[in-house]
Amino acid sequence: MSCVKRLYIAAGLLVLLLAVSLTNAWYAQSITGDMREQLRQAQELAEREDWSRAEALTRQVYEDWQGHHFYFHTLMRHSDTDQVLRAFRQVLEYLQLQEPDQYNAANADLMAQLELLAEMEQATVVNVL
Amino acid sequence: MFTGLMRTMILYILIIAGVRLMGKRQVGELEPSELVLSLIIADLASVPMQDYGIPLLTGIVPILTLMSLTMILSVLTMKSVRFRAVLCGRPSIIVQNGTLDQKEMAKTRLTLDELLEELRCKGYTDLSQIKYAILETNGQLSVLPFANQKPPTARDLKVSVEEGGLPRVVVSDGRLLEGNLKLLGHDRPWLDRQLTQRGCRDVSQVFLLLVDETDAVYFAKKES
Repeated sequence: MSCVKRLYIAAGLLVLLLAVSLTNAWYAQSITGDMREQLRQAQELAEREDWSRAEALTRQVYEDWQGHHFYFHTLMRHSDTDQVLRAFRQVLEYLQLQEPDQYNAANADLMAQLELLAEMEQATVVNVL
Repeated sequence: MFTGLMRTMILYILIIAGVRLMGKRQVGELEPSELVLSLIIADLASVPMQDYGIPLLTGIVPILTLMSLTMILSVLTMKSVRFRAVLCGRPSIIVQNGTLDQKEMAKTRLTLDELLEELRCKGYTDLSQIKYAILETNGQLSVLPFANQKPPTARDLKVSVEEGGLPRVVVSDGRLLEGNLKLLGHDRPWLDRQLTQRGCRDVSQVFLLLVDETDAVYFAKKES
């Protein structure tokens, strides 16, 4: 293999890795952003005492999370994804029990965890340092 | 357990492929950047092998990045002398005309004991025999003795010697390597004649048969 060819392959691989990592950052932000928005809407429904719709919406977000299981499991730290899963289960339980205070706290925690999960993947100086 | 098995296999194949791509020099003589790469890769690979809580990609991505960077650096060091000097350093002359360069020794942090040990390993016990001792960028010490300390060559002695040529393996442990036989310009009847002359009926009775470009044959019969 010629030197120039090696150089192109290596540079190409680096560019590819960079492109994949930036795409991943955008994708993680996009998925978790949508989830957080839906969880926020569910919280508004719960505040209006519409527990059944709040639960249905949260369950939909949970199913969406499960639908992206492969992606999250292969790219994120398992301890972080497991924590999000536990938080989802907790929120769903509080929704069934219709406990507003407990639910609000658990939902806020879940949204924060989702935000942190995506933030970890962002191409920022803070993350690099 | 299965995860550990699969991860180990993937990472092992990846590292072998990477080392192979980097060429033979990587294995034998490590430049500073290559040494760093080897150390980091070993560590990076072992973490996702043992900790199943970390995605495999967190091991693979840094390894691929390191390999790409190393490949780029190795091409740049080939193309630019200045870059090579920055990355790999320059050879240091430790002994010149039998005299130690103490400043250079201090600069390279080479102790007297280490130098003498290296020289002894190369068969030199007397510094006055040495014209140059050079510490190469890969850490090896090259020793060039004074001309009157070098063993005489055939040319010095004005003796005519025959070139032996490269011996090729024609039969290895009872197996015929036909490609090598053809490269030497011989055919099966020629080989059969050689075997008959040495008391063999078949290649299965031969342990090793080497033939060089001058048709000199080395023969070793298989022990029964």
